[in-house]
Amino acid sequence: MITKGASLKGLLMVALLVSHMLLTKEGVTSLPICPKGSVSCQLSLEELFDRAVKLSHYIHFLSSEMFNEFDERYAQGRGFIAKAVNSCHTASLTTPEDKEQAQQIHHEDLLNLILGVLRSWNDPLIHLASEVQRIKEAPETILWKAVEIEEQNKRLLEGMEKIVGRIHSGEVENDIYTPWEGLPSLQLADEDSRLFAFYNLLHCLRRDSHKIDNYLKVLKCRLIHDNNC
Amino acid sequence: DLLQWPQISKCRSPEMETFSCFWTAGNFYNLTVPRILQLLYKKSNEEDWKECPDYITSGQNSCYFNASYTSVWTPYCVQLASKNEVYDKKCFSVDEIVLPDPPVHLNWTLLNTSQTGIHGDIQVRWDPPPTADVRKGWITLEYELQYKEVNETKWKELKPRLSTMAPLYSLKTARDYEIRIRSRQRTSEKFGEFSEILYVSFSQIGIGCDHCTEEVEFPWFLVVVFGVCGLAVTVISIMLSKQPRLKMLIFPPVPVPKIKGIDPDLLKKGKLDEVNSILACHDNYKTQLYSDDLWVEFIELDIEDPDEKNRASDTDKLLGEDHLKSQSCLGGKDDDSGRASCCEPDIPETDFSASDMCDATSDSDQFKKATEKEEDLLCLDRQDNDESLPSLVNTDPLHRHRNIQPENSHLWAHFGDSAESPHPSVHIQISNQNSLTSTDFYAQVSDITPAGRVVLSPGQKSKLGRAQRESCTEQNFTMDNTYFCEADVKKCIAVTSHEENEPRIQEQGYNEDGYFTTESLTTTVANLGASTAAPPSSEMPVADYTSIHIVQSPQGLVLNATALPVPDKEFNVSCGYVSTDQLNKIMP
Repeated sequence: MITKGASLKGLLMVALLVSHMLLTKEGVTSLPICPKGSVSCQLSLEELFDRAVKLSHYIHFLSSEMFNEFDERYAQGRGFIAKAVNSCHTASLTTPEDKEQAQQIHHEDLLNLILGVLRSWNDPLIHLASEVQRIKEAPETILWKAVEIEEQNKRLLEGMEKIVGRIHSGEVENDIYTPWEGLPSLQLADEDSRLFAFYNLLHCLRRDSHKIDNYLKVLKCRLIHDNNC
Repeated sequence: DLLQWPQISKCRSPEMETFSCFWTAGNFYNLTVPRILQLLYKKSNEEDWKECPDYITSGQNSCYFNASYTSVWTPYCVQLASKNEVYDKKCFSVDEIVLPDPPVHLNWTLLNTSQTGIHGDIQVRWDPPPTADVRKGWITLEYELQYKEVNETKWKELKPRLSTMAPLYSLKTARDYEIRIRSRQRTSEKFGEFSEILYVSFSQIGIGCDHCTEEVEFPWFLVVVFGVCGLAVTVISIMLSKQPRLKMLIFPPVPVPKIKGIDPDLLKKGKLDEVNSILACHDNYKTQLYSDDLWVEFIELDIEDPDEKNRASDTDKLLGEDHLKSQSCLGGKDDDSGRASCCEPDIPETDFSASDMCDATSDSDQFKKATEKEEDLLCLDRQDNDESLPSLVNTDPLHRHRNIQPENSHLWAHFGDSAESPHPSVHIQISNQNSLTSTDFYAQVSDITPAGRVVLSPGQKSKLGRAQRESCTEQNFTMDNTYFCEADVKKCIAVTSHEENEPRIQEQGYNEDGYFTTESLTTTVANLGASTAAPPSSEMPVADYTSIHIVQSPQGLVLNATALPVPDKEFNVSCGYVSTDQLNKIMP
């Protein structure tokens, strides 16, 4: 009977683990063909792009929802909308602003830009995840999303670096990068100012994630499907 | 009328490449000239307000920004103003205001129809809006399809999907349907406008079911029938599964008498002997008898039978206190016959340990005490029993045992009743062996003094010899009992032994067990009796055993002086209990 109970417990544990794995990923990550850490395993470029697009779409979805929630919760009575003219820290990166520019830019440059944007967001996302917890009565969903976005952004960065490594014959440029200096604004004592800083940051995040998602889709259609998605 | 300011109603981009803003002029009669209103815009990184480049393309009160003016992720601000006054202002970025155009080129094809032809499946296809550049991946759209029957009011929706086709299942071929589709950018929440309505009519392609216009009504009758059947099946299965309980509800079990009663059949047939024997085992019933008039009445009925003269004394026997002295029961089986409480002869299993757990625990204690004493007597313990032996004759146990015999013509017929029953005879006989001198193990009671003492006839020394000659075969021990006493051992081994040996053997036997079986004693007795019969002794052929014919009084024993015939092996019944029939056989 004891062994039976132990085996049942083990089974339950396995079931819980599996369900947890499946639930937390929300369909973003399919089971990897290449196990983690394996050097020799090679995914096709199409597969890499598929995963990258999935990730970028997921990140944009999360950031969009997070912004909407934050807007609903904190921004309504404060007239933040009126101050929507903001500047994101990645504004210095010259990214394509319309379809034509996106079609004309060389794919390697575009990839580098994507990488640059992703790297620039690494730092702010870490601080966002930690600072958003200090917001008074922050909803659990916002907290969770902040953490999730930061995590997925890392993974997307890894994937992009892999893609760039495949496509780019030469050296991978590391200089496209914008530092973020908005941390003090997230730690302001004045609650209104602090919330406004969050609002701006989340707004920028939504926009940049949309950019990256779009660029990747364009690249995918261009490189993989030959402009015939 | 309320004064309405000019307002920017909405700004919209259909494909994320251009956008347009629309406004309402309001009811300012001073500003009826539409051109006075201006739409100014400014990108976030610019300082000056610029005027709308195109007031025409998007219609009246609109401003159209073509691709050259559109930067997707750049924040814009537009304001509606006249010469000096700003009426409205809006700030946005183009990626936030994407509302795609509706899909185009809706069509449907038939997938299949049901066997009856009443229902059919169709596949609806469409094209994305032409303005949206889906092929280059600039914009990703998802579509929502809605359909309804022509005369219905409420639209049914399908889940938004990325693909440009959707199946519709189980449409009624007799009806016509309307389908419309709208699209939205994948990550936004707002849908664009609906497409044109697509009409689905099965009759047009020739599979319309004209004679199926009748509505298939809900088969109430079938539902009721099957529901009743299902319910019946459920009830039956419940009944079957819970049968014990239900059975208990419907047929409550007749309680089996848990008290160790007496089989009424015994009473009917007038076998009071058995009844007495049974009752003798249960001291508890003594009081019950008295309190229970039924028993008394029953007994009285029996008394009325003139043929049974013995019955006259039965009442006395039954009601007499001494007849129901405490004796613990040997049997432990709970049976209506009552007899099973005592040692049942035809019950093979004999759990004597359980037998001790009879009603009267005090009785068992007494019994044990008595047994010990008897063992001392019978088994001739190492210790000196000489003192005990003679005292035994006068001791209470003897009295008690003697008197316990409730009735009976056959003393040793009741060996099975209690382990003590043979004691009297044994005692009687042993008492002769007051000393370890050459006295027989058994002796015949020749007389009983009024004082209650038993006078034994002189033992027959030749018995020893006889006993010696007796070979001990185990099979004589019809051993259904799990244990036997020194009596058996004595019988077997002590055949060749003298009295001097007897103590040793009896020691063995004594050590073996505290109990002895009546049957062993019986056999012992029988063998000895047999041995008695075989060689004539020089002395008076006094039978070793004498049956007690009548128990006249609590104090009296009347013994038959007749010699016993050799009992057969059949005498050795399983429990040592000898039935009256058997005794009748044996007795002359």
